[in-house]
Amino acid sequence: MRRSLTTLLTSAALLLPVSAWAAPVEITLWHMEQPPHRVERIQQLMDEFNAAHPDIVVSQEPQNWGEIYAKAPAALSAGAGPDMLFAIPDFTPILKDIGALTSVADFVTELDKKHDFLDSALESYTYDGGVWAVPLYNMSMNLWYRKSVFAEAGLEVPTTWADWKAAAEKLSSDQTYGIGLPANKQLYTDQTVYSVMANGGATEIYDENGKLRFDNPQTVAAYEFYADLQKLSPPDNTSWTWGEAESCFASKSCGMILQFSVISSYDTQAEGDANDLGVAAIPHAEGESQHNTIAYPNAVMMLSTDEAKRKASEKFVSFLLEPENYGRFLNMEPGLFMPVTADGAEAESFWNDATVQKYRSQIETVIANSGNGKLFGFTSGRVFPAIAAISAQNILAETLQAIVVGGKTAAEAVSDGQARMNEVSE
Amino acid sequence: MRQSRFYAFVFVAPALLMLVAILGWPLLSAVLLSLQDVRSVGSEGSWVGLANYRKVLSNTAFWNASWLSIVWVVANAAVQTVLALAAALVLNQRFPGVRIARTWIILTWIVPTVVVVMIWRWLFSTSGGMINPLLIQIGIIDRPIGFFSSTWSAMATLVFINSWRWFPFIALMMLAGLTRIPSDLYEAARIDGAGTIKRFTRITWPLLAPTLGVLVIVGTLLSFNVFDIIWLLTSGGPAGGTRTLPILIYETAFKGYRLSEAATVAVLASVLLMAFAFFATRSLAKQGDER
Amino acid sequence: MRRGVGWNIVLGGVVLFFVLIITLPFWWVMSGSFKLPQEIIARVPTMIPQSFTLQHYVKLLSSSDYPTYMINSLVVASVSTLITLALSVPAAYAFFRLRFPGREALYRMILLAYAFPSIVVLIPLFGMFAKLGLVDTRTALVVINVSFALPFAIWMLRSFFGSVPMEIEEAAVMDGAPPLVILRRVMIPLIAPGIASVGIFAFIMSWTEYVFASVLILSDAKRTVPVGFSGIIGQYQIDWGLLLAGASLATLPVILLFALIGRWFVSGLTEGAVK
Repeated sequence: MRRSLTTLLTSAALLLPVSAWAAPVEITLWHMEQPPHRVERIQQLMDEFNAAHPDIVVSQEPQNWGEIYAKAPAALSAGAGPDMLFAIPDFTPILKDIGALTSVADFVTELDKKHDFLDSALESYTYDGGVWAVPLYNMSMNLWYRKSVFAEAGLEVPTTWADWKAAAEKLSSDQTYGIGLPANKQLYTDQTVYSVMANGGATEIYDENGKLRFDNPQTVAAYEFYADLQKLSPPDNTSWTWGEAESCFASKSCGMILQFSVISSYDTQAEGDANDLGVAAIPHAEGESQHNTIAYPNAVMMLSTDEAKRKASEKFVSFLLEPENYGRFLNMEPGLFMPVTADGAEAESFWNDATVQKYRSQIETVIANSGNGKLFGFTSGRVFPAIAAISAQNILAETLQAIVVGGKTAAEAVSDGQARMNEVSE
Repeated sequence: MRQSRFYAFVFVAPALLMLVAILGWPLLSAVLLSLQDVRSVGSEGSWVGLANYRKVLSNTAFWNASWLSIVWVVANAAVQTVLALAAALVLNQRFPGVRIARTWIILTWIVPTVVVVMIWRWLFSTSGGMINPLLIQIGIIDRPIGFFSSTWSAMATLVFINSWRWFPFIALMMLAGLTRIPSDLYEAARIDGAGTIKRFTRITWPLLAPTLGVLVIVGTLLSFNVFDIIWLLTSGGPAGGTRTLPILIYETAFKGYRLSEAATVAVLASVLLMAFAFFATRSLAKQGDER
Repeated sequence: MRRGVGWNIVLGGVVLFFVLIITLPFWWVMSGSFKLPQEIIARVPTMIPQSFTLQHYVKLLSSSDYPTYMINSLVVASVSTLITLALSVPAAYAFFRLRFPGREALYRMILLAYAFPSIVVLIPLFGMFAKLGLVDTRTALVVINVSFALPFAIWMLRSFFGSVPMEIEEAAVMDGAPPLVILRRVMIPLIAPGIASVGIFAFIMSWTEYVFASVLILSDAKRTVPVGFSGIIGQYQIDWGLLLAGASLATLPVILLFALIGRWFVSGLTEGAVK
């Protein structure tokens, strides 16, 4: 009897350390950076993290922007969702609405103290009494051109809309299109249209009380200008996404384009001459004083309800934001992703990348321009989550198409656009 | 008789069960959805009776989409039937290389839709696409045109691409029908002095008609449901010019976050299709499909 | 069959037309996949490549899971085809030969399965599969593919059965054979080409299915080619070379498959259903 009791106790004592060794916490990240080289870079960082944290195993599942709007809510409501999901500001409210998000305010405050987040990045995710995602990387629109092409045509970098139109006309010839602007019912067109609106005094589509004020003279003027300017673009611009515009620029068929960054395609598909690539802030309307642009602070949403997984996810995100790792994370696509933290903007890991060094001056300009970044629905310190349905349905782009394809006047189109926005917001 | 019933049950039950579970039940739940006001996936909704139906039926977007769906279906049927019949008649002849042709004509159908989309997106674009330069060289146009830039040309281009993809399949089905026509019938007709055209109208066409009938019905139903080609190339644009009913449903459900409303459109579309299928198959059955 | 010169010219013209519209796009894509990026996007595209590079294929194969996608697609398509045939052949025969109450009505109802937009079943099915633990499994894809192929398969097979001359069947029935034996020994061999063509239909529909695969499959390891392909291409930039290489590779396996067995499927089909 005694013996067996001792045996029992001894075995129990022996088992204790064994049970303390638990299986590692497994967490998954879903993101929409599908190009193979981006996936590879993220995997590298994950492997390093996993090696340094044997109690956690993090893995990635690249997804597609086209499907994720349907897939994420469906997966989450079926309990098959990820622990972390990258997001853009107008995607987050959708998940918040279905109750998949809890505020990460505490975690963000902690990170903010360490790394100092860009205010505009934080603003886009702070509303309704909480912070709904952790800002991770920034993208903003710029005007890209070739210095040699401008020099040959005797052009200065345009700063106003009139200059801009004149420059585009000067650059248009039998072989080339002065400017490559999209007119598709798609996110890229939303972005370029808004970039022009933001430079024409039409940044706010909501007033302070949350009422839609899309239909106003500045917006109409901006649309008129854009619809006119895009006539100088290739005829298939109604099916353009970012790729077609970049191809046009890379093949010298387009004299100028609006894009977040063309560095990657310019380097691999065009001549890659860093001295010739010019980038400037988007021209503003006469009467406006500063150059604005559209800013897309991308973030990561923390979705686990399980405590251990939450903690593990937080550790991974902190790891990514550490200056020695952050630069390599951003450079998964050199020249496209910009830092959202102050120490990130100075991190050696960012500036040491070969491509970043090659295009250093362009990247510095881009970072400077993004200081004036705005995002429709997330401006002036207030956030209007109803914007999610508006951007999901590309109403800004749709309004442009009504003018360019449907033949309506700008005033009619914008008024219809506002009606549509009201319709999808109810 | 009894034995027949038992076997019938055994033979038919597995297939029927699968259809009911995978297609029947979700359809029912879509009908239920249409009577609620569910917004985004996973959220709760309350019962609202026929409110969604009233809303959808009074919405011009719905009627536009229905019209476009009809245009889409008819245009596809026309183009594909002509192409497929021509191909089938050709493949039924004897000429050097006909065997190879018969095997490989199906090439455009066996390629995944996404690949078809990418190929044509590139070919019709101005980023190295071949179609514009080709047309300019032949002299049909002198400046590149945007194939997806106006509502009607986008629809025409999509019909072309979809037909390019589907006609070989239909052609092979027609070919199967053609080869079942006994060649002695043709011999007899030739002996009687009937020319090629007469042989076609008196023998080929009538005997092929039942097969053609099934193909047109099934083809119509399948092309009505085409979603990926349209979505991936034009997303229903430009300016809504190619927004057929399936596109409207997808947009309403996943971009507009109005699941119940989307379900309503789907139910209405289904009713339309079912009516078509019902009447079409009944008239086909009358034409002697029975034994 | 002798044809006049006139008809020969027409025939030749039509054949040329089809050859061009079918093969030219593929030629452009495949030749493009070996061009340098600058040549691909050049303002004046070239019919015959002026440059040669394997960089797009290298990038495609080394930094993506393309081979995995191929295997998944092959597995899902093959299994879907087999199950579709196993279920539809007996069912079609029953609808054709055996008498049972509600036969006609049920037969017409089966085709109604196509009478609604498939998008709408996506969400309830996702929920159902989630409860059964089938989300992110290839089994789920097989189930969907089979269900969508069944109605057409049953319809076509029934009409193929219908083309078998009555006498042959009658003889077997009179010999007192039970339906199962008649089916196996007599009917199936007689309409084998028809079964083959229905099999191709099921295989291809499954091979090219995109919408359901994109939502039901969450992890890269289970992805099929259509979904994987559209992901690799990237959305913010389009690497045209990668796209052309991917398109070429996506076409390759089906071409190989057809080079091997396409010939008997099609020749069986066209040599007449019944000898």
